[in-house]
Amino acid sequence: MRFLHPFTLLTLAVALPALAWILPAPWGGAEALITALALLLTPGASPGFAAARTAVITAAPFWFFLYLLHGVGGMVTIGLRLSTMIASFVWLVAILPPARLVEAMLAAGWPVSAAFLFSATLQAVPALRERAQRLVDAQRCRGLATRGGPLVRLRALRALALPLVLSALHEVDERALALETRGLVAGARRTALAPPADHRGERVLRWLLVLSCAALLVWRVA
Amino acid sequence: MSNNWLKYRPPPTIIAMIPVAVAVNIVLSTVVEAVGLPVFLDTTGTILMTALAGPIAGMLTGVLTSAVNTLRNPTWWPFVAIQIIVALYAWLAARRGWFRSLGTAVPAGLLLGVIASVTSTPISYFVFGCSTTGGIALTTKLGQLLGLSPFGACFFGSFLSDFGDKAVTFALVTTILHALPRRTAARFPLALRAVGRA
Repeated sequence: MRFLHPFTLLTLAVALPALAWILPAPWGGAEALITALALLLTPGASPGFAAARTAVITAAPFWFFLYLLHGVGGMVTIGLRLSTMIASFVWLVAILPPARLVEAMLAAGWPVSAAFLFSATLQAVPALRERAQRLVDAQRCRGLATRGGPLVRLRALRALALPLVLSALHEVDERALALETRGLVAGARRTALAPPADHRGERVLRWLLVLSCAALLVWRVA
Repeated sequence: MSNNWLKYRPPPTIIAMIPVAVAVNIVLSTVVEAVGLPVFLDTTGTILMTALAGPIAGMLTGVLTSAVNTLRNPTWWPFVAIQIIVALYAWLAARRGWFRSLGTAVPAGLLLGVIASVTSTPISYFVFGCSTTGGIALTTKLGQLLGLSPFGACFFGSFLSDFGDKAVTFALVTTILHALPRRTAARFPLALRAVGRA
């Protein structure tokens, strides 16, 4: 499956949960979930058991809370749909590296700023998370009380969040200058270095999936 | 910013700032865990970005936050509409100068809490059966035990989680805007207006 075009993988990951919601419950949801699990577990073509375990761990609390709120019937109906959504996206994330998606976006004519926003965000999150953890540790070393009444906690929140956000904003000027010097302005386009192959068969498959979902939705609503 | 939204081309400063704002949305959960407050603060970056650079930059931040969070947990994506509504509301708040002081920001945040819970309840009810997070599921159960209808109980759960969260978020954004160096704030005319310096 890894050889498929990123847009085909994306369409599959969106179509399966859509079908789980559109088709009559519970069998529609069950069939969609079985397909999603098959994608996750097909030997040699899928991310394997580690990804399947992630999907199960993510879905498990939903089943518990659904049982608590809706009993067995509601739990099965909604749980199958949610699990399909979770399994499909866990499969997508495991099988599609973000860099390949960015290449596909560039090859499809998306502005380079859109591709930059996506990849820069994926890099910014772990860096800021590390800084947040350092800040929490440093403030605790200085004696900041993070436990107590609501006012104490709110004061601690201010003492932690304010320097974190201000320090992050402080770096924006340098980044903007770096972007300008590299010609990365809004609307600019780039040639993808290694654009993923997009075969005609895959384009047809994508349209078929979208049209099938639309037709089934019309059939269900009518 | 151009008045024509379709032709909006963000300058490099905004392009550089959006990933930072998205990271703020996501990473503040680390700070929240440290202080143990029952809030999410997952719209702080969206509101801050809107107050600094306008609604389109704010909406881009919100959509990108949902997209990146979806990679970790796909149940985030259906709530992308809330991020857009938050950005539009923050734009209104910035234009009206509601970030001028905590006295105006906190009531504005409480109102956003009501709007967000009204908007998120149908998504939470029809897509997730109100099982989005443990806290919301448990407060929904409490609403059921109090005799509320299934939809009413779901609103009750969403309202309890959103009401305080958005007030704290607005207060935090106000504090950040006032703490911005004047040189930085001066590059964002909307920010000066939002805090009442223009």
